[in-house]
Formats: sequence, structure tokens, C-alpha cells
Amino acid sequence: MRLNAKDIFSGLIFIAIALIGLWLNTEHAMGTARRMGPGYMPWLTFMLLLALGVIVLVMALTSGPDPLERWAWREMSLVLLGMCVFGLLLERGGLFLSSTAMIVIASFADRSHRPLGVLGVTVFLLALCWWVFIYQLDIRVSVWPQF
Amino acid sequence: METLIANLAHGFGVALSWNNLLFAFIGCMIGTAIGVLPGIGPVATISLLLPITFGQPATTAIIMLAGIYYGAQYGGSTTAILLNLPGEVSAVVTTLEGYKMARRGRAGAALTIAALGSFFAGCVATVLVAASGPLLTSVALSFGPADYFSLMLLGLIIAAVLAQGSVIKSIGMVVLGVALGLVGTDVQTGQQRFTFGIPELSDGLGFAALAMGMFGIAEIILNLDRPEARSVLTTKVGSLYMTREEVRRSIPAVLRGTAVGTVLGILPGGGAALSSFGSYMMERRVSKYRHEFGTGAIEGVAGPESANNAASQTSFIPLLTLGIPANAVMALMVGALIIQGIQPGPRMVEAQPDLFWGLIASMWIGNLMLLIINLPMIGMWVKLLQVPYRYMYPAILIFCSVGIYSINNNVFDVYLTVLFAIAGYLFAKMKMEPAPLLIGFVLGPMMEEHLRRAMLLSRGDPMVFIERPISGTLLALAAIALALMLLPNLRKGKDEALAGG
Repeated sequence: MRLNAKDIFSGLIFIAIALIGLWLNTEHAMGTARRMGPGYMPWLTFMLLLALGVIVLVMALTSGPDPLERWAWREMSLVLLGMCVFGLLLERGGLFLSSTAMIVIASFADRSHRPLGVLGVTVFLLALCWWVFIYQLDIRVSVWPQF
Repeated sequence: METLIANLAHGFGVALSWNNLLFAFIGCMIGTAIGVLPGIGPVATISLLLPITFGQPATTAIIMLAGIYYGAQYGGSTTAILLNLPGEVSAVVTTLEGYKMARRGRAGAALTIAALGSFFAGCVATVLVAASGPLLTSVALSFGPADYFSLMLLGLIIAAVLAQGSVIKSIGMVVLGVALGLVGTDVQTGQQRFTFGIPELSDGLGFAALAMGMFGIAEIILNLDRPEARSVLTTKVGSLYMTREEVRRSIPAVLRGTAVGTVLGILPGGGAALSSFGSYMMERRVSKYRHEFGTGAIEGVAGPESANNAASQTSFIPLLTLGIPANAVMALMVGALIIQGIQPGPRMVEAQPDLFWGLIASMWIGNLMLLIINLPMIGMWVKLLQVPYRYMYPAILIFCSVGIYSINNNVFDVYLTVLFAIAGYLFAKMKMEPAPLLIGFVLGPMMEEHLRRAMLLSRGDPMVFIERPISGTLLALAAIALALMLLPNLRKGKDEALAGG
């Protein structure tokens, strides 16, 4: 087997995005080459992407083997979940609550973390964030929960 | 000449203001720190700090961001020499000879030549940027829309060609970047494109969200995925003084490295990493002591370290004179300028003299600061390496999240960053390079504008791109670059050079 799995997926990603883009682009006027409408450049771009995707896909059939790697699902979901919780809590719960939630959730992504270490990091980062973002930059966000 | 001196004096006046000095210093400190630390590079850091610079004037912001970039080149050499651990990609070749020197007890000398070589190269590059800026600007002012379009195309193609891995995939990433740049309101008709009715998208995808997600957050996930491998410092730094023999051998290497770095830095797609490889290859060929390579030849440290620093400064030339970013870091600078309301382009030298000359003067001051930050304080930076990654990544995460929110005071940007982080991780797993995507994303909207204008002026005749001499030459260069890299032999050479010398 000389299939290059990584490149096959890369090609498929390019093709999929190009097809979706071309389909969405049907609602934009193309215009002429002289007076280009809003759809002209997207059409060019996505056609090029489609062509490149096909080339990558065809070349991947013989350029391997390069199997897919294991995904760090756990690490990825915990880090990103932390960020989403931060986004959900920030405006209602304030900077400190949302940041604490994010740090604690994201800390589970690294198994070598210990509770005391997480506590230390949280306190230190909250202080740093307050100093940089509230004291120095004065961004418009509340520090404590709003009721 | 006199105007040059007057301009530089003006620049020093700007750069020596307290605020600018302070931010140049902060930039250099942060740059050195992330240069020392493996796992976080200048692209991630600069995107992370973009929101923090918004409150500052544009000049101050760019001075600080530039300090991070060239500071990282200094810092990267420290861990490369002492621990055989490249803190930055550009320091990979420094490990080859630098660590061998450290094993022979000459770590101090290697660190000294790395810092002094960088300082010398930085000074030369600064003068070159100052001299070439106004010169190139006058050339650039004669550019029409067609010429601009071709120049950007050349930049994109070279960026793709010089990226690591498959050329076709890198071009695909460039095109994907251009496609992402299309999202938002069409400038000429006001029509919403690809916004799915989301009001936050009508200004286009957030540049900071894209950069932070793909380079900052995705990088965290990748680092957590890999087991941590950090060796403890076992080598002694030793005396920082170089022997007379070492000085004599280093001087030509520093000069050659500076020349190589200066040239490769200006090229679109070039930059620090490429030039340190280039310089190492050159030293291995032309040095009188090439038989010593592999056992700790000082030329192998002096050349590449000078080269990467020269390149990190000359890569500002295309940005400051033509408004075209040469690499991912410069793409971030464009983003920072646009957010500050400054359109990078040939008129920038005239319209923003404070920014142009202030930045140049600050580079020289920054180099001096770095010399002081790096040499006597080397012990402190090495200590930084003992901070485990589990304490570092929550800090990056929180700075990203609060920073991205503070740009528009909108949590939508936080979720957008999450999406780009997933995309960035996916790309990394599929060996798709995100750097060309970023450059395409920045250049895409400008290219569309120039394409439309050029075609309007030529009444729809695409031959204008070939018939205009400047445009035709640039397109021919792009075609040559593309053709060369499709040749299997050259491609193999490039992959080897980028994969670690």
C-alpha cells in the first residue's frame, strides 16, 4: 500500500471546502471580467482550490505510506471546552469566575497536574490578568459576577 | 545622505521616548523568553499580544512586536547551545555546532559569538533597512494595480514554495487563506459574502482569532499531545571570553552570515529560519575549517546566528516599503497595522515617518538591549526552562481568551478562536502548513482589490498582467520559482535543509 492517508484527507478537505464555497457563491453576481461582481474572485479562488484538491488527492495515491496519527481527543476537548465555558461565563460571571473555570477545566488536559499546583497557577494568573487587563489596559469587563 | 541622517535622527528621537523605550524593552524580554522556551514561538506570541498593543500608538505597538521577533532569535540560541534544544526553528542549526562546543567546555564562547554576531548583523541590517526604505518606496510608487497583483502573487507563491513539505499542499493552503479572506462585506458593492447572516462576520473573519487559534491554541494541544522532553542543564557555561583564535575564525563567518541573512530576509517567504540554514550550508562549504564541522566549529555558530538576526530585520523591508508580508510574522504585523488603521504600502514611509524611522532606530536600540539582556543574564534565562509546561499552558490560554475578547468586547471572537484551533490542529495532523494560509488570508483582500482595478483599467483584458514590464517580470519570476520547486532534486534539497540540516 502506497496510499498517503494524510494527503488524501488534505485533498478531500480542499475539495469539500471548494465545493461548499462554490455552492454558497451561486448567490453572488459574477459580473464580467471588466466589471467584476462580488462573486468573481470567490469563483476563481474556489475553482483553484478545487483543482489543487484534486491534484493533491491524485498524487496521494502513490506518495505514501503516511498513515494518520492518533488524535489527542482528550487534550483537545478539555482545552477547547475550557475556552467555551470561559466565553459562556465571562459576561455574566465576570473575569475571575470564568478564568478560574477555564484554568481548572484545562488543567485536566495534563495528567501531571496536582490540585495544589492548579490552585497556585489559578491564583497567580488571576492576579496577573487583573494587573494586565483591568489595571493596565482597563478593558470593559466586570471582575466579579453580575446579578 | 544628509536626509538619511536627518531621518535617522528623527527616528532616534521617536524611539528614545520613555514609552517606546519601555515597550522595546518589554518586547525584547518577552522575545528572549519565548526564544528560550521551546514549544512557543514568535508567531503564537505576537498573535497573543496583539490585543494588548491596541491601546498603544501604532509606532509603540510595532516596536514592541518587532522586539519580540528579533528577540526570539537571540533567545533561541541560548537553549540550542546549552541544552541541544532549539527554542526556535531558526536555532536548529545552532545546536549542531553550538552544543558540541558546549560539550568541549566552550559554551561561554559560543554564547558570546552568538550574541555579538547577532548584534553586528542587526546593526548592518538596520542600516540597510534605513537606506533601502525610501529607495524602494520610490520604485513602488510607480506600481500600477496589475503590478501589485503580480507582486502579491509572487509573494504568495514563494511563501508556498519555501514552506516545509509538499508544494502543492502549501499552495492549497495559500488559496484556502485567500478564500477565508473573502468572508465579509464586499468593498465595492457592499454585498455580504459567506457571512451566514452573522453580523459579527460582516467585517470579515477576525485576524487575531485566526492567528491565535491556529498558532496559539492549536500549538498548546499539540504540545500536550507530545510527552515532555526537557533535559536538565548539565553543561557549565564557562568563561564568556573568546580566545583570540576564536575571534579570528568568527569574523569572516559573521560577515558571510550577515550577507546571507540580509538577502534571504528580503525575499518573500524568507525569514530567520531559512537564512540560518542557508548560512550553515555556506559555512560548511567555504570555511577553511570545514573539516572541524560536526565537532564544534565556531563558524557554525557565528554564521547562522548572525544570519537569522539579519534576516529577522531585513524581512521588514518588503512590509514597510511595499506593504507585502514576507512571512507569517510579517503577516501579523500587517494585521496589527490594519487594526491600528494604517494601510501598509509604499506611502507608509512618507505618511508615517514616525513609524518607519522610529521602528528602524528602535531595532538598533533593541539589539543593544538584547546584548545586555542575554549575555550577563544568561543564568536567569536558563532557569526559565525549569518551569514545566503544565504551568505555562494555562497562562497562554487565559491571555489568548481575555485578549481576544477585549478586541471587540465580544465573546463571539472566543468561539471563533476555538473553531480555528480545531482547524489548526487538524491541519497539523494532516501536515498542512498554516503559515502560508495566514499570508494568503492577509494578502487575499488586497489582491482582489488590485485585480478588479487592473481589469477595469484594461477593459477586461487579462493580457495587461503580461504586457506591463514590471508585472510581466514578476509573473515570470513566480513561474520560475514554481517550476524549480517541482523539480524533484531541488525539492529534496529544500526538505532536507528545512528538516534539520
